[in-house]
Amino acid sequence: MSLSVKNLVKSFGDNIAVNNLSFSMETPGVFGLIGTNGAGKTTTIRTVLGIMSSDSGTAEWNGKKISRETLSFGYMPEERGIYMKTKVLEQLVYFGMLRGMNKTDAKNSTVGYMERLGVIEYKDMPAEKLSKGNQQKIQLISTLIHNPVLIFLDEPFSGLDPLNAIVLSGLIEELISEKRFIVMSSHQMNTVEEYCRDIIILHKGRTVLQGNLKQIKAGYGHTNLVVSRRDEILSAAEQTGLALIAKRADELEFKINGTVMANSFLKKLVDSDIFPAKFIIKEPSLNEIFIEKVGEQV
Amino acid sequence: MNQIKLVFGYTFRDAVRKKAFLISTVIILLLVFVLASLTRIFPSDEEQSPTTVVDYSGYTCYYIDEHKLIKNATDALLESMPGVTIILGTQEALADYRTMLTEDKTLTVIEVTEQDSLPFVTVIASDFMSRMSSYTIVDILSKKYSANTLSELGFDETAVAIAQLELPNAYEMAGNMNISGYAVGILLTMLIFFAIYYYGYGVAMSVAAEKTSRVMETLVVSAKPSRILIGKCLAMGAVGLLQFTAVLSFASICFKFIVPEGFSLMGMPVTFSAFTLQSALLILLYFLLGYSLYAVLNSVCGASVNKIEDLNAAILPVTLISIMSFYFGYVSAATGTEGTITKIAMYLPFSSPFIIPFKLLNGNVSAVDLSISITLMITFIIVLTYVSIKIYSASVLHYGKKQKLWVLYKTKL
Repeated sequence: MSLSVKNLVKSFGDNIAVNNLSFSMETPGVFGLIGTNGAGKTTTIRTVLGIMSSDSGTAEWNGKKISRETLSFGYMPEERGIYMKTKVLEQLVYFGMLRGMNKTDAKNSTVGYMERLGVIEYKDMPAEKLSKGNQQKIQLISTLIHNPVLIFLDEPFSGLDPLNAIVLSGLIEELISEKRFIVMSSHQMNTVEEYCRDIIILHKGRTVLQGNLKQIKAGYGHTNLVVSRRDEILSAAEQTGLALIAKRADELEFKINGTVMANSFLKKLVDSDIFPAKFIIKEPSLNEIFIEKVGEQV
Repeated sequence: MNQIKLVFGYTFRDAVRKKAFLISTVIILLLVFVLASLTRIFPSDEEQSPTTVVDYSGYTCYYIDEHKLIKNATDALLESMPGVTIILGTQEALADYRTMLTEDKTLTVIEVTEQDSLPFVTVIASDFMSRMSSYTIVDILSKKYSANTLSELGFDETAVAIAQLELPNAYEMAGNMNISGYAVGILLTMLIFFAIYYYGYGVAMSVAAEKTSRVMETLVVSAKPSRILIGKCLAMGAVGLLQFTAVLSFASICFKFIVPEGFSLMGMPVTFSAFTLQSALLILLYFLLGYSLYAVLNSVCGASVNKIEDLNAAILPVTLISIMSFYFGYVSAATGTEGTITKIAMYLPFSSPFIIPFKLLNGNVSAVDLSISITLMITFIIVLTYVSIKIYSASVLHYGKKQKLWVLYKTKL
């Protein structure tokens, strides 16, 4: 099984929303689709899924063009859309049947997912009475009800409180273990870093970076140094000429040119009888890479 | 096809469970019941004796004829208007009488003056609702004046009586258009307009609600927009048909069990004989075609809005078209003319649902006119549906700046 997108182009008048996009997923896992607002993520998803036709290029699943008729995919849109006045179970069964399930299977699948996500007690309530987080879970169930192999999640974590985020994380882990192919669009870089093996960064419809996340980060080398936050460490760093890039409650982050520079700084601290509780040499975060890459374009 | 059925089923269930549907159905049925019950309260025209004498007790009439132009006029008035109090008045007091008239609605002033050698009768009443009809007063005085004149010319009483004789008469119509068919036709036209407008609005509302709540984004993953549109329009049409049928069935039951047998209105028996199986089926067809036409237009309007508050502004053009078409059809039907304007109203797809049902009940639609009208309407609906589906499909996922219809139509999907 594989997802293959080649030279996909979609424009609206003079505006090219998706510009010659190509990527592929050969094995199950999570693929990250990253971009600023208006980068073309949603149009990319709609075009890949055949909800909108492309101007040129192909999007194929196992070598066949993707469409509603040829593939039972799952898609959770960024803007949540459920019937507020309708009972939860009733509308989920309706969504399941629209995806080709019979009523019994749709009901069983809905109940199963509602139990997994801890919202079974709301099945006979209208959706408007549910909290935003629970409504989001209902939206997620409508995406997964028919057990699709290819799943597109557009900003799945937005609006979730930490507890519900953990529940969703657990479900994503389960989906990964079930060998599903997940394409996740998100603004939250830590989320993408946590789940995505491969990523693509879009800016105004164009691809500015793509590839295996580990390899991308490795390509940048060890460029960041995280040290415990202490005033004397900050003074020492200033004297050494380290550039401070983040000042957090309990730590400081500096830009370095490599491990030699970090080791030299550590030696200086120890020589000055300063022993930091934390001293981590690391690759740049995805957030930094994103800002750097998209910033270049801006 | 299965997805259309599913959308149909969901939309239908959702619509009939809404309070608006239940309340409107109950109110309409109640109105039908009240209307039918009125026939029990108010007697039929034929039950009112033609010799019934209206009592004018409590009414006062100032009679001013200073030159005695009509002799014994007050006797004639008293004879024809028993109970009325007649006071001989003067020209000088006319202004006072007018003042009194503004406060007392039981007063009437009759002033007789001379004009071109003939008595000129002026009746002054408090307002047009006055029970003492000027038509009746002038008729009485005219007859009295002509009787006086004939007597003065030497004719005997028999000759005078013959000259004023009103022949026994009856009013019959050779065509099928009678007051019963006319009234039912007008009511039916209004009911069809109401149903087409109301359920067309329902389609716009349903589409706009799904788009603005983003449910459409969930639906289009599973079903093509065209299937959603067709399922939705069919469902709202079925809801309309259900209510329409319920109202007509209830009206039939009320007519059978509440309206007195042989009840007449303006001398014509109220019957539903014009409702043959053929006319009923054709009326149903026109309702469905009219609904379909306006429903697809409304669906495009519903799909064009980003906020539900904008819906009324978006459907305004369709509302204007439907209202103008209704009045065009209604006026053409009500005037009963058969000219070019009526032909246009019958052939124009927008107005034909509002004139053909009336004409079917009043029996004056030729088979040729009917065929042309139905063919034009079906052709127009097919073309309109094709265009609407394209615009609708492009609109339902478009949330940005409002696009022109032509741009949406040309959008590749």
